[in-house]
Amino acid sequence: MKALIIGLTMLGVIESASAMNHGGMLMDEKGMIMNANSDNLPRDCTKISENVDITIHAGQKHALKFTGKMFAFDQQQWDVKPCAKINITFINDDQIRHQLMIHGLPGYLYPEGMFHLELYGKGKLQASLIMPSQKKTYLVHCEVPQHMEKGMKAQIKVDGGDGDLPSIPGISKPVRADVYPVDWSQQTTAVLLLCVLAGCAISYFVIINAQGINNKVQKTLAKLNLKRNTALH
Amino acid sequence: MTKRHLVLLILIIIALAAFAAFFVPGSTQKVGIAPPATVYNRSGETAGMEKPCSNEHPDWRPAQIIEGVTIDAAPSCEPDNPYDIATAVKGTNNVSMATLMQTNLAQDALTLTDDLDNDGDPDVIHMRLEVVELNGASPDGEFLINTFDIAPGIQPGLWVYAPKSRGMALKNFNSVVANPLLRAPSPVIRVEQGDKVYITLENTHYLPHTIHLHGVDHPWLTAKGEDNDGMEEHAVFPGKSHTYEIQPRHAGTMLYHCHVQTAQHFMMGLSGMFIVEENQPDNWLQTFNIGAGQVRHPSVAVTKSYSQEYDLHYQSVDKKLAQIIQNVNDPRLIAQRMNRDYNMTESFENYFMLNGHSFPYTLRDGMIIADENEDIKLHIANLQRSSVALHIHGHKATVTALDGVDQPAGLQVTRDVFDIAPAQRTDVRLQTKNDGLHSYGPGLWMFHDHVPTGTTTDGMEPGGNIAILAYKPLLDEQGMPKMHDELFDQVFNKDYYAKKQAVWGVGDFAQLLGQAGLLAPDYLRIIIFGLVTGLIIGLLVFIMLVFKRKQNQ
Repeated sequence: MKALIIGLTMLGVIESASAMNHGGMLMDEKGMIMNANSDNLPRDCTKISENVDITIHAGQKHALKFTGKMFAFDQQQWDVKPCAKINITFINDDQIRHQLMIHGLPGYLYPEGMFHLELYGKGKLQASLIMPSQKKTYLVHCEVPQHMEKGMKAQIKVDGGDGDLPSIPGISKPVRADVYPVDWSQQTTAVLLLCVLAGCAISYFVIINAQGINNKVQKTLAKLNLKRNTALH
Repeated sequence: MTKRHLVLLILIIIALAAFAAFFVPGSTQKVGIAPPATVYNRSGETAGMEKPCSNEHPDWRPAQIIEGVTIDAAPSCEPDNPYDIATAVKGTNNVSMATLMQTNLAQDALTLTDDLDNDGDPDVIHMRLEVVELNGASPDGEFLINTFDIAPGIQPGLWVYAPKSRGMALKNFNSVVANPLLRAPSPVIRVEQGDKVYITLENTHYLPHTIHLHGVDHPWLTAKGEDNDGMEEHAVFPGKSHTYEIQPRHAGTMLYHCHVQTAQHFMMGLSGMFIVEENQPDNWLQTFNIGAGQVRHPSVAVTKSYSQEYDLHYQSVDKKLAQIIQNVNDPRLIAQRMNRDYNMTESFENYFMLNGHSFPYTLRDGMIIADENEDIKLHIANLQRSSVALHIHGHKATVTALDGVDQPAGLQVTRDVFDIAPAQRTDVRLQTKNDGLHSYGPGLWMFHDHVPTGTTTDGMEPGGNIAILAYKPLLDEQGMPKMHDELFDQVFNKDYYAKKQAVWGVGDFAQLLGQAGLLAPDYLRIIIFGLVTGLIIGLLVFIMLVFKRKQNQ
């Protein structure tokens, strides 16, 4: 693997990166690693709280367990402690390019707030990163056009996270949901009509028994009041 | 109330109704002596305006040498990235990391090796193509992603082949705009006659696709006995890849396109030009011409007999087809709507593009830019649904080849309208010799499809595939045509193509041909009608009440 370390300045996109950065980019004909960080602690961490080894598979076959998706990771969520060091083994099971991008990280350690693994085809990459201490949910996705949109989206929750991101397969609803036709059969119509009939019957029943019902309601209310009063005392 | 009273009342009501009929107010109304005043709907509105040329990379325009590759000057507003060109000539395996970093190409996108015939150029070519969706949907909100505007405010859903890329597909972190490698049309591919060419389709898209090498010499099966013709039954499914193998014996302008659900996938943009160049010594070709247009590193054979070379890719879009991928996200629903609900036989073409852009964006990267006395080679491909009748103002050019086969000298007709049926290619020699036949002299000469739909964008003129054959002295330093400021103010504006502005809304005739305003409501009429109608309703209620009271008694 004739890997080439590229100076940060060579990347137009991350020119703004602070001189403090020790990350950078590792790239060859199989793929690339950007902003890996196995030893720089975020400012809000005094030490690494735990070492988490996770293996993430990416591929079309992992979308089979969902409906209406085409690409996916094998898992959709990882929970870690504040200041955890995550050692990622990223495996691409497809014959095409996939990425694993994590967003929203502190910019002074990860230029543009991003950690990025990319495999140009079937293969494996390993890299680590250290999460800050903040209780937060981080986006994990593949940014190849339409891969996230069609299911390749997941999240890392530090300290339980601050909620779920939208449209994560099997976890959260999309913001802009698709509309599907309802399987509306004769039976469904029959249920609807029956309910309408029952509704009519109920109102008829109420009218002819108005007095009796009223009494019962009064009694129940009185009882409830009594209970509440006793509970208060 | 007596019967007599009742009859009287009813008669009054009828009379009132007849009276009211004369005062019915409407949403439109005939005008009296003075029609409404002209409305200036363009004054002070700048929200939709764009700069005609953003002039993002002036350093890309001059002629330059990168990695030893000579790159011709490109005076246009949006010149091709010279690093893309250098990499397309040398291969991703033969350029420095510094050059590769100036492109969005993956390191295995194009490898050039083995000079099989010992003539100084590589003859084993391995290219990798991905399938990219532009202006696609997102489940995360009401926006499109990896956007590519074909004209101001126009973002139809498109699919393109793209050389294998790396890194971010978006231009930057704060935008949904696709990076410059991901654009329409699918790139023009150039290989040399006799090269051993491997084309790997890596299907990054969520639907099956293939590459069919239309007109390119290729065996029906690969050496391994696998599909090599890209037909529907050998579709490459999402996440899979397939390599097509060719060693073309015949040179010419050919095509490549997807042959899965061909009508729709072709119209979505999965089609491009595939040019086999004559075998010549030391013939390093620009394997990819991203966005078509000017070839900044022409082949040896072209350089011998021409001063410049351009690829013109004509393409059209049916907005109903293009919207399918923007309205839903579930691949099954997209497949259903595209394969079964959509009916190609009842379709229209709404957008017409030259090299991925409609006018006025064609002025940024779709112009032919010439001096006097030039010989320019044009490769013209019709990848629309309908025929193209290409007309170049002020010039008559000569057909040199049809569908990649050279025309014998006696059949090389010189004319000013080139009829090109769908999927046909015409190679043309355009001369700028001011002799009253080939050229009428320097100018900003328009060239466009003369089929009337082709010059419009969803019916809005000027739009479609209109472009300009520009003589250099008539361009400004950003490569934009001079003397067109007024037109630019008008058309580099989304509101124009959203049909919100009068075509002749500014200038001396704005008062006479601008937007006619609305009529002021005729309040006297409205008040009279309202009062009379109220009176009628009141009287009817009165009659009913009286009638009811009588019944109760």
